[in-house]
Order: sequence, then C-alpha cells, then structure tokens
Amino acid sequence: MRVKLVLIGLLTGCLLLVSMCAGDSWINPLRMNALDHTIFLELRVPRVLIAFAVGGLLALAGAWFQVLLGNPLAEPYVLGVAGSASVGAVTGLMLLPESVWAMSLGAFAGAWVGIAVVMAFSHLGPSRVLLAGVVLAAFWAAVLALLLTLLPEHGLGRAFAWMMGDLSHSDIPVSILLMAWGAALGCGMLLSRSLDMLLLGERHAAALGVDVTSLRRRLLFLASAVTAVAVTAAGTIGFVGLIVPHLIRLIFGSLHRFVLPASAITGGLLLAMADTAARTVIAPADLPVGVLTAMIGVPVFLWLLLKRQS
Amino acid sequence: MSLLELKQVTLRRGGCALFTKFSHVIRAGRVMAVMGPNGTGKSSLLLALAGMIPVSGEIVLQGKPLNEYARVDIARAIAWQGNLPPTEFGLTVAQRLGLAAGEDQADVTDPAAHMEVDDLLLRPLGELSSGERQRVELAALMLRDTPVWLLDEPTAHLDLRHQVACLKMLRRESEQGRAVVVVLHDIQQAMSVADDVVLLGRRGHIEAGAAANLLIRERLQAVFGVSLHATSLLPQY
Repeated sequence: MRVKLVLIGLLTGCLLLVSMCAGDSWINPLRMNALDHTIFLELRVPRVLIAFAVGGLLALAGAWFQVLLGNPLAEPYVLGVAGSASVGAVTGLMLLPESVWAMSLGAFAGAWVGIAVVMAFSHLGPSRVLLAGVVLAAFWAAVLALLLTLLPEHGLGRAFAWMMGDLSHSDIPVSILLMAWGAALGCGMLLSRSLDMLLLGERHAAALGVDVTSLRRRLLFLASAVTAVAVTAAGTIGFVGLIVPHLIRLIFGSLHRFVLPASAITGGLLLAMADTAARTVIAPADLPVGVLTAMIGVPVFLWLLLKRQS
Repeated sequence: MSLLELKQVTLRRGGCALFTKFSHVIRAGRVMAVMGPNGTGKSSLLLALAGMIPVSGEIVLQGKPLNEYARVDIARAIAWQGNLPPTEFGLTVAQRLGLAAGEDQADVTDPAAHMEVDDLLLRPLGELSSGERQRVELAALMLRDTPVWLLDEPTAHLDLRHQVACLKMLRRESEQGRAVVVVLHDIQQAMSVADDVVLLGRRGHIEAGAAANLLIRERLQAVFGVSLHATSLLPQY
C-alpha cells in the first residue's frame, strides 16, 4: 500500500508539472524567456496548485461524507453547503456588483450559514441527516433560482461561470488553500482509525470504543468546513468528491490511513488535469471546469458501478 | 464475582416500558441466556448492558455506574456482538478482524481458524454468505479479551456444526472466567449452554434465575404461548 501511495505521489508530481507547462502555448521550464517565466510562475503554477488543493479538499470531504452518512453515494454537496454558498455568492454579486471580492465573501458566508443549519441536525442519525441535507439542498436551489431571476443581466455571466466551477478567479491565496489541504488531511489522519470502525456501523463502532456522537459531530463540521473552503475558492465543481474516494477504495481498500492521503492526492490531480484540459481545449478561452469534471465523472462513476456489480 | 449489576432498571422503547425496576447480578464464569418472544426487549437489554442506550435506574460495571465510564473504557470491559455490519465499503475479513483486535497487524489466525474463516481473510465481507459473515463476527468477538461478552443471537445464520462450535466456545470462555450474556431463541441451545436465564414476556414480564428453574415446560409455555413436549421441550404442532 505504501509503495502504491508513493507511486501515486510521484505520478501526481510529474503530471502537475506537465499541467503547469501546458496551456495555449507549451512552456519548457528549462528554457523560459522572461515572458514565459512570468506566465509560468504567476499564472500557471498558482492555478494548478489551486486546482490541486481544491480537488484534494473535495475528495477528502467526499470520503468523509460517505462514511459519516454510511452511504457510498454521498458527496461534498449532499447536505446543501454548495447550495447555500451559491446563494451567498449571488447575493454578494447583487449587493456589491463592482467588488471583485463580493462573490467569494458571499460564498464563504453562505457556506457557513449552510453549515450552521446542517449542524443543527447533527444529533440525528445518518439517514435523517441525509434526508435533511437533500431537503435543504432543494431549498437553497429554489432560493438561488429566485435570486438569478432578480439578478441584473450583466451579472448572470459571472454567476453562471462561478456556479459551473471557475479556477481562474480564486480569491483565496494558493498558500492558504495548500495549508487547508494539509490541515484537512492531518485532521483526517488523526480520525482515520475511528473512521475505519465507523465502516462497521455506529453500534459496532461504539462497541469498539468510539464515541460515535462526538465523532459524527466533528466529522460533519470538518467535512462541511472543507467543502465551504473549496466552494469559496472555485465555485461548484461536481463529481470529484463522489468518484475519487470510490476509485481509491478499489485500489487501496477501505482503511482510511490509505484512503485519505490517496484521495487528497488523486482528487487534486484529477481536478488539475481537468482544469488543464479546460484551459487548453479551446484556448485561449476557458471551458467551465465543472462541466469537464461532470463529463469525466459520469462515465467513470457508471463504470465503477458496473465493476462493483460484476 | 459480580461484573455487571442491574439496579432497579427500567427500559423503554418508543415511550413504552419493556420492563420496569429489574434488578439482577451478572457474575464472572457464568453464561446467562436471555430469552423471550419477539419485541420483548432482548436486544435492547443487551444494548443497555453495553451502555449504548439509556435506562432508568442504574447499571453498575465492576463497582462503578456504567454511565460514568468513557466509551473507550466500556469497550475495554465489555464486548458486544450484534447485527451483521454493513458491507458497502469493501472491508475485508482480515481488516474487520484487525479492527476488533485493535491493530491491523494483530495475529488473527487462531480465532479465524476456530471459526473456519481463515481461508476467507482476503475476501470482502460483501462477498460472503450470512453464515460466513456471522462466523467472522464470532471470530472478531474472540479477539476481544474483555471480562464481559454480550452476544445477540450468535447462532443465527449458522449451520448445525457451527452452532455447536459457537456454543462450545461460549461455554469454554465462561469456564475461563468470562461473564457471557447471550440472546437465544432455541430452548435446546439455552439448556445446553446457560447457567442462568432471563425470561422476558409480554406486558413487561421479566424474571431471572437459574436455568434449571426457568427452562421448564410451564414457564416457557406461559412466556411463549405455545404448547411444548413434556420432556424434549420441543414445540407441539
């Protein structure tokens, strides 16, 4: 397992470097002129690292939500945090249309409103939390639809770009995102043994000494907070948090001391590669990265379902 | 030696009392069978003894109220075997046993061999039959070196051979000083393994005592509401 983890780490490092070189023009890091140097260090490196951190955070949140809710179909947006963040982002855009920070601040505030609402249901069992999350997501979607009908026409483009996932305008510094990635992974590793026990169900976990109520509350907060950071940085990007933990469990098995680091790395790699494709396929224009992750994610997920069935 | 003691315990489910003000002592080195019709609270009693559901009254573990223990300390004293765990996430037999043992590299060979799951160690739980999964759970229990074992229908899903192996194992563990509390539906199994019995009946009926005094035709007919053969205690159809 450790060898596989090291190999995935090395492969990820190589592919991230390729992503940094790729764009509307290929940049050779060994032969850069001044312009290439600027583009490489000030545009591509931060963007690839932002994609890596956001993808890793989404994959970690997905793995946590799946265990927390005892449902392999759970993903970071299942409890409506992305919906509340979107409402916050569009509200910010309506209130401060000229501000470059308005959407990010609004998204961050909205995500935390969503987390607060979800935490109010944390004492319920997994199926009821899931049910509450689905209903909340529908509520936020309705509020979002209302706000979009009221949004002036010139704001619609920004709103839709953000909602489909946009790594080109992250207002959170890359260093903060990478620290969040590391901190989230570190917290997850501390909980990994308890998470393994939770795979056996709440009663078996409790019988093995896990304080299930406390663990669920911490996990719900951690997963929601990580989702909030990822959504604030890059908008709504689907499927990374759903498929990466599944893929990793096929390769590494179920123990979280392998699943979590492998998901954090692979989720980052997947989003970085999707973003590289998004900014090169029709360069110099960008495709919304959320569209690409969905186009990759849907067939991969269906393939995983068929593989598990067989 | 008293390991667990119920003092005036009332257990409720959905607002209704399953039984009220029940007192009983569970001692080391004895097997106590919990019997009764469906819905009378056998599994709930086990969960209460494991500290997983609240009760009125007091349950005392080794001289200290159970609700004053941290969850991890209860787990050091009490092992619980209940429903089969979910299989969605692909845990293997070896991983499941490792979790019970407390470390992944633990030697799980003996319990796995005893329950004849040693050739299944690398298989995901989801690929096993219910009987094989039940044997894995029993092997997992054997890895828990706790003074008290609580088992909820351990012979469910098992074929006759493994039922016998399971009951022998419970008997042997109690002789080595463990307190074993086991929910059983089969009267013959209870007669073969139990020193003490708790009988739960409808409308909050509960009684406890020596197996020889409670596993008799009149008591069982009254509790289960069926006619039993005079000597074998098998149901008469």
